[in-house]
Amino acid sequence: MTSLRLVLGLLLWAGTASAQSMRPFSTFRQQHGETRLRVNLQYAAGVLRLGAGPTGQLYRMDVSYDPDRFVPRSEFDAARGEVLLGVEAAGHAGLRVVSQHQLQQLATVSFSPDVDLALDVGLGAVDADLELGGLRLTDLNLETGASRAVIRFSQPNGARCGAAQLSAGAAELSVIGLGNSRCDRIDFQGGVGKVTLDFGGAWTASSNVEVQMAMGELTLRLPRQVGVRITLDKFLSSFEPSGLVRRGNSFESPGYNRDSRHLDIAMTAAVGQVRVEWVNKQ
Amino acid sequence: MSALKRILPVAVLLIAGTGSSAQAKTYEGPMRSTAVSVVREFWAFVSDVSGLTHSQGSTQTQRPQPQAIPPAPPDGPSIDLSDISNTITIERELEHKLEGNGNSLRLTVSRGSAWRGDYRLSANESHPGDLLVVSGDADIAGKLMGNLVTVNGDVMVREGGLVSGDILTLGGTVHGDGEIGGEVRSLGSTSLLTHAPMAATPIASTGALALTFARIAGVIGVFLTLAALGFGLVMFGRTNLEVVSDTVAHSFGRAFVTGLLGQILLLPTFGMLVVGLILSVAGILLLPFAVVVYTLLVIVAGVGGYLAVAHAMGETYVRRRMALGAVIGSPNSYRYLLIGMAAMASLWLAWAIFGWVPVAGNLIRGAAFLVTWLLGTAGFGAALLSRAGIKENFAGRLIPPEALTDEYLWATPQFGVPAGRRPGTRTPTRGL
Repeated sequence: MTSLRLVLGLLLWAGTASAQSMRPFSTFRQQHGETRLRVNLQYAAGVLRLGAGPTGQLYRMDVSYDPDRFVPRSEFDAARGEVLLGVEAAGHAGLRVVSQHQLQQLATVSFSPDVDLALDVGLGAVDADLELGGLRLTDLNLETGASRAVIRFSQPNGARCGAAQLSAGAAELSVIGLGNSRCDRIDFQGGVGKVTLDFGGAWTASSNVEVQMAMGELTLRLPRQVGVRITLDKFLSSFEPSGLVRRGNSFESPGYNRDSRHLDIAMTAAVGQVRVEWVNKQ
Repeated sequence: MSALKRILPVAVLLIAGTGSSAQAKTYEGPMRSTAVSVVREFWAFVSDVSGLTHSQGSTQTQRPQPQAIPPAPPDGPSIDLSDISNTITIERELEHKLEGNGNSLRLTVSRGSAWRGDYRLSANESHPGDLLVVSGDADIAGKLMGNLVTVNGDVMVREGGLVSGDILTLGGTVHGDGEIGGEVRSLGSTSLLTHAPMAATPIASTGALALTFARIAGVIGVFLTLAALGFGLVMFGRTNLEVVSDTVAHSFGRAFVTGLLGQILLLPTFGMLVVGLILSVAGILLLPFAVVVYTLLVIVAGVGGYLAVAHAMGETYVRRRMALGAVIGSPNSYRYLLIGMAAMASLWLAWAIFGWVPVAGNLIRGAAFLVTWLLGTAGFGAALLSRAGIKENFAGRLIPPEALTDEYLWATPQFGVPAGRRPGTRTPTRGL
């Protein structure tokens, strides 16, 4: 009986201790006078951390990946000033039940704070934390699958950003400090999930935002220091325009016309809830 | 029995020993099969034990004498290092060309050269073309005009030094303040040249034994989960479970066909439901509710039907044993369910234990999947036919009208041995 208990105990131990083979991979490139970089970052599964790196290093990626199912990618095209980074599925055919161990993949990616960056990010089943403050972001295109992602602009963007396009599938997405992004235009398309768009930060110019939300909960955190106007097209959604005044088909913050900088949001919401919160000047 | 008691702890210790040694080993390379890794882990365990009893001096920890690797004859092995962006491909190619050659290795590097052992390029020196360094570090103070690949070795690019192309280290790292014109890639730990020291970070490895234990634990986990659900079903919906179970037992064919059609029509039905609700203006409000309810009903029908099949299997088995004279302690639904589920789990358990065997493992898994699908489909169909155990028409519980005759009632005793089966009729009792 004692032996049986010992065997059962060891079986349980082996079940929990059987770690998956994770393999480290690192890549980087020294900066040799490049002034701009277009990044295509594709990350299939795991944890992703992204932020600004040290001066003199164009980019760097350190990843611990599952070699049985994924392949690390790092290809730089000097002629186009473009780099492909990330971890992609190995491409084996057939049905595979996604393992919890896949989420143990961890990647840390950094970019030079001195180059103009056009960032194209595709996330699969990922827990992502992208700190874009401190970079010189000129374009942002983010597509997430079944992800939980936090995108931060903790510092003002070092460059003028033309457009930011964010697309979330079945995701929980928070974008913090969009006022620091310095993007002229922000497009967001949400599928199903919980989304928070925080427009706090140092607003230096006006911005146009287009939001399309299919099903879920959308929270807009609006700044008090700029004039806000929301044009809403909703189907089965509830909208709480707290602190906004209705003007025809739109809702405006008091004194919208007097403010020199405007945040104009055109929103389409199908099913769900849209909430408005106000953030103090940062 | 006493011998078994003695052997069991020893076997457990052996398993634990191999398991712990597996945790400390490095990644075994992309081409290793599971069976090979079992043998390797066992050999590593034996080596570890022998290493404790013998002197530590081993040639395995020594770097080879630095020397150039001569080019191979025209039909010999060669490698092109002009594009090393695909690290996995380069590693596999090198694995194929370096393995088993030992000190007699001959390898041609297109537009470059190969080196065994530590390599040093002095400040006033220049190396034209690509360079492959095997089982040694590369110390670059001069100018290397090409790509650099090291296998089981680090790279140091000193200040003033230059590598004009890319650097790839397989089982090594890159240091230094020198200039690197291309991209630096480091793939940690490699199975290349396993006789050479590994410079990579030790990482955990999943051996076949650990994988087997994990699979067994998974099967047990699923079994326990289903058992818990089944016990809850017996406790709170016993009548429904029994009716579905009887439907499977008495109308298996019809239940399977119904289940098959049900699976095919699942999505179209869902689509019709959604469209219907949207078209009816008032129904739109019910859409989220309907989606959730439909999903729940499908899950309940699927899982409940599967458990009902297990119940039917267990009941049939127990009643047959009782008919043969076996004494069963308490022939109740809990027992039926456990026996049936154990039978259904046995195939998955076989896969968990023998899944690592090439070909046979896949065959067992395929068989387990097929049987599970067949039974699950029949259970799903039975749940549909019996309306989740409400309708008893297909369960064989209703006495057919033609049986309610004087002859039938006269021929059927109330106690004792039941009457013989009438030719051409179905037995109205269940489970036999």
